[in-house]
Amino acid sequence: MIATAETTAESARDGKLFAAFALSATFWLLLTTGVGLLLSFKFPYPDLATSPYLSFGRLRAIHTNGTFYGWASVMLTGAALYVVARTSGVALRDRALAWASLWCYNIAAVVGTITLDLGINNGDQEYREWVWYASIFFVAAIILAGIATIRTVLARADREIYLSNWYFIGAYVFTTILGITAALPWYQHGLGQVAVQGFYMHNAVGMWFTFLALGLTYYILPKLLNRPIYSYALGVLGFWTNLIFYPVIGAHHFEFSPLPWWFQTLAIVFSVGMLVPVWAGSGNFFLTMRGRWEAVRRSPALPFVATGVAWYFLGSTQGTIEALRSAQAYWHFTNYTVGHSHATMYGFITFIAWGAAYALLPRATGKPASALATGMHFWLALIGVTIYVAVLSVAGTLQGIAWVNGDPFIKSVDAAQPFWVARAVSGAMMFAAHVLFAYNVYRMTIAKKRTEPLRQMQLTREVAPV
Amino acid sequence: MKSVWLLVGSSAAVYVTLALGMAVLPGIALSEVKPTPGLVQLTALQARGRDIYVGEGCSYCHTQYVRPLAQDKVWGRPSTAGDYAYSTPELFGTERNGPDLTNVGARQPSDVWNLIHLYEPRALTSGSIMPSYRYLFLEKDHAAPGDVVVPVPAGFAPSGKVVVATPEAEALVAYIESLKQPALGGAKP
Repeated sequence: MIATAETTAESARDGKLFAAFALSATFWLLLTTGVGLLLSFKFPYPDLATSPYLSFGRLRAIHTNGTFYGWASVMLTGAALYVVARTSGVALRDRALAWASLWCYNIAAVVGTITLDLGINNGDQEYREWVWYASIFFVAAIILAGIATIRTVLARADREIYLSNWYFIGAYVFTTILGITAALPWYQHGLGQVAVQGFYMHNAVGMWFTFLALGLTYYILPKLLNRPIYSYALGVLGFWTNLIFYPVIGAHHFEFSPLPWWFQTLAIVFSVGMLVPVWAGSGNFFLTMRGRWEAVRRSPALPFVATGVAWYFLGSTQGTIEALRSAQAYWHFTNYTVGHSHATMYGFITFIAWGAAYALLPRATGKPASALATGMHFWLALIGVTIYVAVLSVAGTLQGIAWVNGDPFIKSVDAAQPFWVARAVSGAMMFAAHVLFAYNVYRMTIAKKRTEPLRQMQLTREVAPV
Repeated sequence: MKSVWLLVGSSAAVYVTLALGMAVLPGIALSEVKPTPGLVQLTALQARGRDIYVGEGCSYCHTQYVRPLAQDKVWGRPSTAGDYAYSTPELFGTERNGPDLTNVGARQPSDVWNLIHLYEPRALTSGSIMPSYRYLFLEKDHAAPGDVVVPVPAGFAPSGKVVVATPEAEALVAYIESLKQPALGGAKP
């Protein structure tokens, strides 16, 4: 595309939008992981901060919903909107809708967070605790971003729809359907609500965050490595198998429950089936990076993406093993699950979100991140989450063994306690990483433009994504 | 694929089908499960206590479902579908940082124990990591007539003051004590 004054101005407007999404997401990352850090200290020190507004039961939902919907959703949507315009070869259509989407995300997060802190929620059902008058803004944000995405893809220059945009369009369409399914009350009484909850909680992760993160990876890797994706067909296979297998696995959160036994068995079988999209996706990414590790190492963004892909493979494969009944008999209800959710939502989703920020924000705004802060961010976050997952996996295993042994309940608490201390320390490392990331977002967005050239831009030529 | 609308339409059709099959239809069928014989509905006070239980996020650490596994026998008989006929929003929970509460009313029916435990769990169980719910209590110089005074053990009580349960604490305890599994076979517990 020939750069004219008009297209440059349009690109700058896309960049400004992306910067606003990144700043907003970073605010929620700092707030809600700060809350997570406080929560981790409440395990060794349960009498720390006993105000109702700082109590464990209220803050836990603020941490989970805030990191999901305030941080990861906003960061990934901002990056995806930037990518959809680049891969379509046009400026973003309906930019006003995208701005409205950002407003809706933030209204939802503010209302959801404040009401949770006042002890007002939609039931203690993970990841849908926000009251309806907060959630409705979240669904509106998805619909608005989805319309802007689809309209931009419709206006694309190429005939083919680039693979990333399959995943983005899928994320918005499926999550809108999911939001409506979870909101309607008529089939959600007693055990019926448990069935819907199993479906909702895993689909929120699998049809929203996974699709956005995979879509971004399908853009960032070829773009920064300056080589095509290893296999387009594997990407298409991943799309359809994710779509068909993921919605069936939700009941594995309620194994050995009064939900129909066949319903649970079906969920376990499809959890094994999830190996197909997970290995197709992560294998495709690794084969794209193969032989180019020097380029990965030298890039500020690619170590985050490569780490995210590795956690995608590890965390999701772990999820399959965890879903087996023999494993659930030990690990269900233990902290092992909390370790798993951080392996996936942090190791996979959040690392991809950071990779997207470091890869794309400097291109969008013309401002680089600090190399030192980026390196420190990477290592603190990687070492932090690795310790986090390791110690909670051990803690959960010890809890499960104590229960199977028939020990008094408090023995399982005592057994986990040293690992909870280690978790708080690893959590502090992760939070320190987030502060460094916030500094870098500042450098890449609102800081004054510096004169030194963009090192990472010189490393890779601009290439067409397809 | 070359058509956006073909992509949107075909993938949405697949997803709507799966949402119907895996959430809506099971939801309809399981919403109509008949209550276990002997299952009693909550009183107004217990229902208020349940709202507090939900609002304070108790089920992040306390499950309410007993599995048909040997290690779960300590929590009661295996839960059945009909046990949840009156349980909306559902409170299954996903973590046991604390004990399962499906049958706690049968195990621990004492008002005094439950009130002290909410005020300061470590006064009764050393090593407990449950939060203290002091904010559901008042600390007064003297008890007024009709006040529910909580006999908090020395060392945990505020010096020179009496601990009085608020209506919220009383409601929460009433709910906790209402959690009793009806015996299977139709007999009242």
